[in-house]
Amino acid sequence: MLFLSQLANALVIGTLYALMSLGLSLIFGVLKLVNFAHGEALMVGGYLFYVLASLQLPLPLALLFSTPLLFLFGVLLERIFLRTPYQRKMARYDEYVILVTFALGIFLQNLAFPIFGPYNRQAPSLFNRTIRLGELIVGGDRMSGALVSFATIGILIFFLYRTSLGKGLRAVAQNPGAASIVGIKVLRMRSVAFGIGITLAGVAGALFGPIFLVNPEMGTSFAVKAFVIVVLGGMGSVKGTIFGAYGLAIVESFGSILLPDPTRSLAYKDAYGLLLLMLVLLVRPQGLFGEKERPA
Amino acid sequence: MTHKILITVLGLLVVLGLAPGTHAQEVIKIGIVAPLSAPGGVETGQALVEGAKIAAEEVNASGGLLGKKVELVIGDTSGQPEKGTAVMERLITHDKVVAVGGEAHSSVALAEIEVAHRYGIPLVIAEAWADSITAKGYPEVFRLTVSNSLIYSKAAKWIKDAGFKHVAVIGENSDWGLGVIQVFKDNLAGAGIKVTAFSAERTVTDFTPQLMQLKNMTPPVDFLVDGFTGAGELLMVKQAHQLGFAPSKKTAVLGAGMDTLYPGFWETVGEAGIYVLSNPAGLPGIPKTKTSGGFAKAFKAKLNREPDAVAMEGYDSVMVLAQAIKASKSTNGKALIDALENKVNWEGTRGTIKFNKDKTPPWAYHMWMDVPVFIIQYTKANQDPSQAAILWPEKHATVKGYIRPPK
Repeated sequence: MLFLSQLANALVIGTLYALMSLGLSLIFGVLKLVNFAHGEALMVGGYLFYVLASLQLPLPLALLFSTPLLFLFGVLLERIFLRTPYQRKMARYDEYVILVTFALGIFLQNLAFPIFGPYNRQAPSLFNRTIRLGELIVGGDRMSGALVSFATIGILIFFLYRTSLGKGLRAVAQNPGAASIVGIKVLRMRSVAFGIGITLAGVAGALFGPIFLVNPEMGTSFAVKAFVIVVLGGMGSVKGTIFGAYGLAIVESFGSILLPDPTRSLAYKDAYGLLLLMLVLLVRPQGLFGEKERPA
Repeated sequence: MTHKILITVLGLLVVLGLAPGTHAQEVIKIGIVAPLSAPGGVETGQALVEGAKIAAEEVNASGGLLGKKVELVIGDTSGQPEKGTAVMERLITHDKVVAVGGEAHSSVALAEIEVAHRYGIPLVIAEAWADSITAKGYPEVFRLTVSNSLIYSKAAKWIKDAGFKHVAVIGENSDWGLGVIQVFKDNLAGAGIKVTAFSAERTVTDFTPQLMQLKNMTPPVDFLVDGFTGAGELLMVKQAHQLGFAPSKKTAVLGAGMDTLYPGFWETVGEAGIYVLSNPAGLPGIPKTKTSGGFAKAFKAKLNREPDAVAMEGYDSVMVLAQAIKASKSTNGKALIDALENKVNWEGTRGTIKFNKDKTPPWAYHMWMDVPVFIIQYTKANQDPSQAAILWPEKHATVKGYIRPPK
């Protein structure tokens, strides 16, 4: 029974991890860049939801209203910081992106401090009561977060595979040159992808907030996990990211209770994921479902 | 040519503007170190700073020190030792403080005492409990709160007497958290009480796997020690209650860190906070002293709630340093240290503070040995610690013993 409870918790957390990592994976897949501000996007979403909730908006509406705002925020960032250098075919564009998104992350975090203060805020969760199925107990905040994540991921997959805009994104991810020949506006797809990526991170933040408290640094540890998940699953692969998310959650949960020295094993919780990542990369450098780069 | 002249003039102005003033010091600066951002315990740090500020205002209202005004220079150490070192260096070398008070995290305090020792500047520790802070024996370091050995040996004895049989401790792997684990192990092992201890990173936010494990252990865990500070402390209580583990009819929980004393605790844990135990190093008005009433009034006027142990410690730290400055009629480090050791006998908000010179046991050096300790238990949601039931010491107890939750 204990095993099932642990597994249930791991799956719930894994769903949230998947939501947070899919944004990063999408941004990498379509724009071919690593977003170092992903953790802060999560934080922005967490605060946005908290603020809307404290304005007495009914919680599902607060979540709903956060979504277009986050999308706009993402598109704005892409337009201001990332589009022009790309258009002008800047040399060392990849390094530039790393610097810019990294600096953006630091800026956003430090912006949150004077605006919201360093306190840990408790955002209200969509559903608060603990859920009991016999011996199985899962907190209502986690469960509702996981269900909303699941639904969002479902909508994302439907969008990517069944709508023309989604197919356009996947086309640009495969080959921007070919996509533009067929008439897909590559620059627009890049903006959309970045916007969606930020939105996914933000919604994850809105769902994480009630569970793990909202504060300016909340994004940092989750961003590291997102990187582990995306690289583990294969950068740009949706299936890989989801797999990696559940994999990481399970390794973290069971690693911290199954290891021989229980008094220390919780202390190494973050290390298990990284260990898993190292092992996978040794055997499959492109990640579990990633594509190997083929030299031309 | 004019370009060069312009730049030179501007450069000179900038340099003159930034250079420290060379006029005679009109103020006496006292540094305050406290965690004011994550991963430190923010509300704890703020209470400390508010207490210190009230003390500084009082001192200035009654004429200042040696004819000069007191100015507090506040440094945010965020619960990170590197920041503690950096802040101390800045306070001493750049702001030129004559003494420093405060700190609420032991790992940071241990970094700070090194800097204080190097410069010979007195450091009065307000709320950091690791034994080694005073056990190291640096003459510059004084402490007017408890040490882990002092408080948790008493808590362990209470746990024994109250009849608990299996104590689980989840401690943060900071010097304080590991000290908590050690003291409980040392004090309970001999008495036939089982101790299961886990340590974890300060930044862990999900304790659910461990709590599930503890809930399913045999023999059953009947006492959980939450050895965390900051967000971790609050989340552990929340998650333990969510799992139906603690506080519950079968298992009690003690929040060993001080973040259970603030409104943020209730915001996060809600109903889960009822029946949680805490061990503050002071409660307002117990005992009533010359300064406790005035301080409580000033604190309530500012923050609309009763003062807590940490705020009182912040106040006492500044006042004790003020007394030392007055008594030695100087701001020289050595003179202040001598005054703190031999001349300070000040009626603080929690009792009369006098620092011990004895080195047995090692942590007792420069400690205020009579610091009051309480074990309290919350009986209502959103309760202020001053209204909670007092379980120990017996002479102040308001209830017969541990209150067992109905379910």
